[in-house]
Amino acid sequence: MLKKLIVDGAYFLQTSKRYQSSKEFFYKLLENDKYRYKKYVDILMVTLIFISVGVLIREVKYPVNDYLLFFSTYIISFIFFIEYILRLWVSSSMSEIIVNRAEHDSFLSRDISLWKAFYKIAQVKIKYILSVRAIIDLLAILPFFHELRLLRLFILFRVFKLFRYARSFQTLAGVLASKKFEFLTLGMFAGIVIFVSSVLIYVMEANNPSSPINTLFEAVYWSIVTISTVGYGDVTPVTEEGRLVAMIVIVAGIAVLAFTTSLVVSAFTERLNEIREVKTIEDISKLKNFYLVCGYESVAREVCKKLSKKKKKIIILDDDLERVERAKSDGFVALNYSPGEIDSYKKLNIDISSQVKAILCLREDDVENVYTALTVRALDSEVFLLSLLMSDSNHKKLKFAGINKLVYPQELVGMMTKELVGKPVAFEVIHQLRSENNSVYIDEIAVTQRIVENFSCIKDLGNKEFRVIVLGLYKSTTDEFLFKPEGDTKLEVGDYILAIGYTMFIKEFEFHLHAKVLNV
Amino acid sequence: MSKQTAFVFGYNQYAFEILENLKDKYTNIKLYSQEEDNLTSSNYEVSLFDLSDDWSSIEENISNKDSIAFCTLEDDAQNIFLTISLRAYFDDLKIIAIASNKENANKLTMAGANKVIPIVESTADIITNILELPISNTVLHSILFEENDLKIAQIVLGKNSSLLGEKIVNVEWESYKGINVLALMNENMSHDFIYALNLKQHTLSENDTLIVVGYEKDIQGFKKLIGSEV
Repeated sequence: MLKKLIVDGAYFLQTSKRYQSSKEFFYKLLENDKYRYKKYVDILMVTLIFISVGVLIREVKYPVNDYLLFFSTYIISFIFFIEYILRLWVSSSMSEIIVNRAEHDSFLSRDISLWKAFYKIAQVKIKYILSVRAIIDLLAILPFFHELRLLRLFILFRVFKLFRYARSFQTLAGVLASKKFEFLTLGMFAGIVIFVSSVLIYVMEANNPSSPINTLFEAVYWSIVTISTVGYGDVTPVTEEGRLVAMIVIVAGIAVLAFTTSLVVSAFTERLNEIREVKTIEDISKLKNFYLVCGYESVAREVCKKLSKKKKKIIILDDDLERVERAKSDGFVALNYSPGEIDSYKKLNIDISSQVKAILCLREDDVENVYTALTVRALDSEVFLLSLLMSDSNHKKLKFAGINKLVYPQELVGMMTKELVGKPVAFEVIHQLRSENNSVYIDEIAVTQRIVENFSCIKDLGNKEFRVIVLGLYKSTTDEFLFKPEGDTKLEVGDYILAIGYTMFIKEFEFHLHAKVLNV
Repeated sequence: MSKQTAFVFGYNQYAFEILENLKDKYTNIKLYSQEEDNLTSSNYEVSLFDLSDDWSSIEENISNKDSIAFCTLEDDAQNIFLTISLRAYFDDLKIIAIASNKENANKLTMAGANKVIPIVESTADIITNILELPISNTVLHSILFEENDLKIAQIVLGKNSSLLGEKIVNVEWESYKGINVLALMNENMSHDFIYALNLKQHTLSENDTLIVVGYEKDIQGFKKLIGSEV
């Protein structure tokens, strides 16, 4: 009966959307760094930790307000307790273990063995409870038993909780952990030197009445202070034999210090790129509306320069390390990942539909661009894909791969020469309007609600005052371009005004369009 | 208006695209290749050339300033050498060259090319415009390559033009129906935006050229109105 109740309960929890979504919510809130609200929980916890430590320090010499003491001892401990329980809850799923066991036993036509399920639950929960983080969390709750004075010192364990909230600490721990063996060797060497020198100095000095070293504890203390090269000078050997030991320990101390320093430095150097990459990936996952440039060759380089000049966000992916380094040295965010592999996007945690504005396949190789395009289309069918076309014979293949816009430099050159020969000056004018490097350019001004409220029709715009030509109006509702529209043409939200003029004056004109209401 | 002879140096996709686009503009187009194999395997009539040539073989075809040479060799160093060789031999020949980047474009200009098309920069400009200014890119593209009725025209002010003697600042350019005047090219062949500060006090004179955009009938109407010729 009880067994049935437990199994039914587990099935209920496993299938309950409400239960699962609340558990997922708390999991994200406590453990998922990418969850936008986690940082607020982290900030709250860090603040509580500092309040506790502040109260502890104040309490040593001065009286502390009773309410603050109550808050530090009971409220904060209670919050930490709730946090501990929640972490224990989300660390694993008891209902899932029971359901799995029930299904396993049912499949084999056996009686459901709940004991095995409970054993498994105990295993995973105890494993979590005995983890370093969980122990620190538990110790941080102990100051709740305020009456036990010694337990108040456990407030300091709350400081260790900072490791959980500050990523840099975790990075530091990770870097140092990579040199575990070297640090162990060094520790053993230092331990042996300390042990031998302590015993030696004790033997040499303990019987000398003028020596400050009278106990083995004092000998160990002297030894550690000396080997660490701190050398307080409060305890010094007075016998010649003792001083000989001191010389050996000093030399060993220098070796230990040098070895430690080099270990830490080499650990960081070796993992510097990895640390940077992790940080970059983390930053990318928070980025919105960026261009993903696949491949960094000459055209890609120029496109990136032009887009970054317009303050656009760009991420570059290339499977060639040399090109990635070149992109980095040009000041761009570049990663050595193959843009043609789905795994790359998963590792980078990029959600194409919500984060990427357009993907540019700019390898100067049609095969690579088709490969990338198909990969992208397998992940997202909507994102705008632009690609270089290097050979006209591949036009259909690239279109078939789902590319929205192809740019074929050879065709471009052909068309340009035609115009250059036919209407050289007109060509220059249009070319310069398109080019980034000129003071006169063409801009698209989106007609907003505010502009419509300020100016109902074209003749009211006042563009002449800003020495700006209105080339035309793009009507988004009808998808048509009205060249030099009549003065009484109505402006609608969603339209675009195509304006030609000096960069500075166009900006002023745009500001004027938006700002008129303020001046009324 | 068909012109005389166009020489296209280089046997590659750039050269073929240029040939396709020039065939209705030049009566005689000659394609030159450095490789002997291309002489027979091509759909085009190909002649052989060598960078060490003295160019006497093409000299007879260059009868006046309407001849034009396109240097499209894919090796930038060779393309520069070709340009400088042509310039050394033919003072008046109009040379248009392609360059892989801006650095080589400068070298080609120094070597005597009249116009250089930097492929990388031009392609990047187009890509950036497609991404950031899609509407204006489409409009400018269609104007330049006459994909719809909108056209860009160069209108030379004739001796009877009503605009002669007018200061640019005093002309109500906006008032001309159906056309936008974008720029002015003066006798020195330099062009400026119509609202450029340095043009403000410029007095319009014979042979000044206006760069206008508009529909064909409006351009013709504007020409009649100001009494000029295209």
